Amino acid sequence: MSELEQNEVSRQTPEDDRIASPSRRTFLKGVAGAGAAVSLISKNAWAKNGEIGFWAKDLPNDRLTEMFNTIVRIRWYERTMVDKMITDPKYRGYNHFYAGQEAVAVGVCSALNNKGPFDQIDLVYSTHRPSGHAIAKGVDTKKMAAEYDFRATGLNGGYGGEMHISDKSCGFIGADGMIGPGPVIATGSAFAFRARGSKQVAVNFGGDGTYATPHFHAALNNAALLQLPFIYVLENNLYHQYAHYSYSCPMKDIADAARTYRIPGVVVDGQDVFQVYNAAKTAVDRARAGEGPTLIEAKTYRYYNHWGAPGAEAGELGAFGYDPLAISSFRPEREVRAWMQRDPVDICRNTLVNWGVLTRARADEIEAAAKKEAIEAFAWADRQPFCKPEDGLKHVFVEGVVAARQFG
Amino acid sequence: MARKSWMYAVLEAVQYEMRKDKDMIWIFELTPPVASTPGLPVINLEKEFGRKRVVNTGIDENWMASCVLGAGLAGSKAVTYIPYQGNCMCFQVIQNHAGKLRSMTGGMASMPIVFLLEMTGQTPGFAGQHSDYEIDTYYAHIPGVKTVVPSTPTDAKGMMAAAIRDPNPVVYLYPAGLRELMEDVPNEQYETPLDKAAVRTTGSDITIVGSGGGMPEVLKATEALQKQGMKVETIDLRSLKPMDTETLVKSVQKTKRLLTVDQSYYTLCPGAEVIARVAENVRGARFKRIAFPDAPPPAAPEMMLWMRPNADHIVAAAKKLVG
Repeated sequence: MSELEQNEVSRQTPEDDRIASPSRRTFLKGVAGAGAAVSLISKNAWAKNGEIGFWAKDLPNDRLTEMFNTIVRIRWYERTMVDKMITDPKYRGYNHFYAGQEAVAVGVCSALNNKGPFDQIDLVYSTHRPSGHAIAKGVDTKKMAAEYDFRATGLNGGYGGEMHISDKSCGFIGADGMIGPGPVIATGSAFAFRARGSKQVAVNFGGDGTYATPHFHAALNNAALLQLPFIYVLENNLYHQYAHYSYSCPMKDIADAARTYRIPGVVVDGQDVFQVYNAAKTAVDRARAGEGPTLIEAKTYRYYNHWGAPGAEAGELGAFGYDPLAISSFRPEREVRAWMQRDPVDICRNTLVNWGVLTRARADEIEAAAKKEAIEAFAWADRQPFCKPEDGLKHVFVEGVVAARQFG
Repeated sequence: MARKSWMYAVLEAVQYEMRKDKDMIWIFELTPPVASTPGLPVINLEKEFGRKRVVNTGIDENWMASCVLGAGLAGSKAVTYIPYQGNCMCFQVIQNHAGKLRSMTGGMASMPIVFLLEMTGQTPGFAGQHSDYEIDTYYAHIPGVKTVVPSTPTDAKGMMAAAIRDPNPVVYLYPAGLRELMEDVPNEQYETPLDKAAVRTTGSDITIVGSGGGMPEVLKATEALQKQGMKVETIDLRSLKPMDTETLVKSVQKTKRLLTVDQSYYTLCPGAEVIARVAENVRGARFKRIAFPDAPPPAAPEMMLWMRPNADHIVAAAKKLVG
């Protein structure tokens, strides 16, 4: 029986717990081979150890289901917000939408410790496109939605907004509106982990645009020299703001840059959560074992334009056509639609159904619940109190408030 | 003369200089040098001058500023447009290189270059990193670099022409909140001096000094106060370094009351320098400065808009000072 035939057979017995290990292991190994065969852009470029293991084979059904759940929770958080931005003229929130890239955040964060005391969980440094990273790390979507609309009870009290959300309780150090400094700061956290003998890992998410910054080099060079427990997840969605990454990087695969620092650099299919997980798990194990940093380049794509929802329609996934902010360059609609054929939600769902972990009906239930959660989160946010003006003088220092200076 | 936006007026000045000087370069990231205005041809520097002279780089403001400096040292005129996200990433090279090289080379280094730095400050919602305004203070502190902040399309064009022709490095601040301003701007090239404040209204009761992104509110307040019978002398600084001490002192000698308005943080805001210079030269005057509190701008509009000096604040402060 070929591997693909094996998969066909297993599809007939969905949700069948009999395929747990060890037979499950053998089965999933087969699937791993099949997955690699159908993957369009996956390859690995490890400097040593040859290749990534298919670690998703070791995950119990509930963990695999949770990965699908998290992917659709991110997707519906985003879709609900897009619709709100388009249909509610009173809505003040904005977003740099992450939809299309969900598998990267979920694949990476599934390989991390996200619950527990602060000095034991792994830390994630995010970007100006933070929704996916935040939800995957464990941030509460209600509080996030309230923060996106600048409410007093939002995740950060209305001080941060989308580009600055952060939640220490799950190790989400936070979003960052700047391109560059994040990864360097993350290596500082990794340095602290090593200095205090902790097994924690610092993960930085960054886009293809970060390659051009001097900080990219500073982060990887120092992390390599000091063998820091640091992972740079570079989400290559082809565009930094409105410019194609060929404007800022002379290589097709940015992961090739890892060779310069003598660290592993791996290219992974960012639309397939399990391939991302495999790469992240390998990198995390290396980091925890004191073997130093890894650069993971996830090839992915965003379904919306750089900022906000221009070109999007309520109830529809994706944004197409002209973005007035792009001025002289914008993405061809056919490119967007081509990438949407390899949707991370579909790939995850199909794989889990194929593995017998989920039925289609169960997957639909999970997705419906995710949609409901998102709608409720934004409705809850709508009912939250606005900030008090004078609270703007708080949180400048740990203690006290600063003086008002805007009055005579 | 035709109605033009701030950016159209600026790019018109740049286009003129680039046509005249075939070596002049323009470096940008993310913000294409493109502007249009009804009834006039679209300006697109990248298209007109090609990618050898006009280039869209990666997100690396340090390189952008350094490239322009290097081009200047090699004898070419050069301008870089750095969007507001990165307007301090290039600080070191402007402060420690551009600002000092003329002195360190004993007067040999020539740097006919312009750092066009965008700043927000007017925008609630973006929070902290994308809403700040304090770089006027930072850059104005640097010796060896002229720092200007025009507040009208007409000044924007004239000061860009003057900045490009100036043999010194110029930090040219662009408050992005002024993007929507439209006014009649001459079509021909002209220079607006880089060392002169502009007296916007004359009066004998009080001097109000503002600059850049704060000017629309200052002018609104001026109008309101004039309607109430106050004779207001309103001054737009335009240049933070060199600062036009003479115009400031002359005005306060007459009014004996000085109110400064800044969107920058209170501590060391440009108004603090204005007050210090006037206090050194005018006896018996009364002073007040209003500014953004010494706090990072919060995202929530309720907090941000309450903290940002506006026309109401200015009117109240002026009345207190005069009354």
